[in-house]
Amino acid sequence: MATPASERADGDAEPAGPLLSLAGIHKRFGQLEVLRGIDLEVKRGEVVCVIGPSGSGKSTLLRCINLLEPPEEGGISLAGRDIFGGPDGGAGESGGDVDFLRQRVGLVFQQFNLFPHRSALENVAMAPEKVLGHSREEARRGAAELLDRVGLGDKLGEYPERLSGGQQQRVAIARALAMGPQLMLFDEVTSALDPELVKEVLDVIRELVAEGMTMIVVTHEIGFARDVGDRVVFLDEGLIVEQGPPAQVLDDPREERTKRFLGLVLER
Amino acid sequence: MNEIIDQYFDLSLMAERFGEVFDGFLITIELSIVAGVLALIWGLALALLRQLPGRGFLPVRFATIAYIDVFRGIPLLLIILLISGSLPYLEFLPESVRIPNWLGQPDPFWYGVMAITITYGAYMAEVYRAGIEAVPGGQMEAARSLGMSHGQAMRNVIVPQAVRKVIAPLLNDFIALMKDTTLVSVIALNEVALVGRDIQAETFRSSALTLGAILFLVVTLPLARLVDRLINREQRRFTRGAPRVEAL
Repeated sequence: MATPASERADGDAEPAGPLLSLAGIHKRFGQLEVLRGIDLEVKRGEVVCVIGPSGSGKSTLLRCINLLEPPEEGGISLAGRDIFGGPDGGAGESGGDVDFLRQRVGLVFQQFNLFPHRSALENVAMAPEKVLGHSREEARRGAAELLDRVGLGDKLGEYPERLSGGQQQRVAIARALAMGPQLMLFDEVTSALDPELVKEVLDVIRELVAEGMTMIVVTHEIGFARDVGDRVVFLDEGLIVEQGPPAQVLDDPREERTKRFLGLVLER
Repeated sequence: MNEIIDQYFDLSLMAERFGEVFDGFLITIELSIVAGVLALIWGLALALLRQLPGRGFLPVRFATIAYIDVFRGIPLLLIILLISGSLPYLEFLPESVRIPNWLGQPDPFWYGVMAITITYGAYMAEVYRAGIEAVPGGQMEAARSLGMSHGQAMRNVIVPQAVRKVIAPLLNDFIALMKDTTLVSVIALNEVALVGRDIQAETFRSSALTLGAILFLVVTLPLARLVDRLINREQRRFTRGAPRVEAL
């Protein structure tokens, strides 16, 4: 669906190692330690689903990977390049490493965060034009193509307030894809949606999975995690409690905490 | 009663001196527009400087806040007197700055423009700040997550939304600015207040000043209505679903 990473002519392809690796990520908000040492490696093409109770640090983890919340400790490397090495050796707010990372990692938010003063087309075309330096025509053509692929080819000129939640979220996905990311992060992207709109968004993500996109999906949709995940990670109190293939973690969890959580979620 | 009418509403006097008063009012309008546009730009610049992120820009943010606090706290009249009474004697400045005569306007006009821009820039910076802070944090995050720099995000995402939110309060500030241009009469700019005062001193009647006041109302009343309508429109946007009550 997106421009395949390999087509990008920036020479950062390094097929051997993991695409993303996190080592000992710690994040505090004041006294509260939200992440207490996360190690995670994501291979190219892998779909990692992160589940866990609210407050477990799932969203913070994604925001740390994107450096919207720079971690206090730990290392992040993407495509073999060390991006972040803690507060001292770390990347600055506007360092080249941050740009490198954000231009290769797409993030989709629970609340969509579309730009309300711009049409769907302009929402998607903005970053390619402003950040990648594409011409306006080129950016708009690409944006129209992406919107078409998420099923919104007839909504190019609509403003976000005139779109349903599901449509807005699909625009947000197209917007992230427009940067040609190598890794997509989905932060509970269906949690703010009415139940009947969830499927259209999950279908778009399924399509991305089929095309081999690498992604980390934070979700409460256990069924979806089972369907598309290559690996399920269960996070609780800022630590990875358990991880493995969906069948193992979801149907035959080893840890007591995982069992308790799944019991509560699947009861519904 | 007649005395009141003779003093304030002497129509023959108003008719006789209308040309003079109107010329003065045109200077008022020119001063308002030039100073208003510059204050809008300077205020936005200050607001953006105040929002620069990171530790490196701490001194800039600090200096900006100090500037805004200081010039919101000093009377405009004092700034006018400070500038007009000092600038001509600062020998290190080029003459065109010490005694400016740009665009065919006399130096008091430009001293007034400077003083008003300095003061109202500080007021307007606060208005812009309110607008910028009213844009949900997710907007900046979305822009940054797409790889935009802080500046790109401000320019393309935050400021366009912020300005839309504060057009009404900015217009309010502009109305106040327009009224405050009369202060520049103290440094002998022949705007509407000074023209009116001269006629008052000459005829012992205040009707020329009343005429000036009426000319002000002709401009400020529609502007005030416009502000109300903008505010209503903005509020309607946030009460979607409620029955629509058309304003006016």
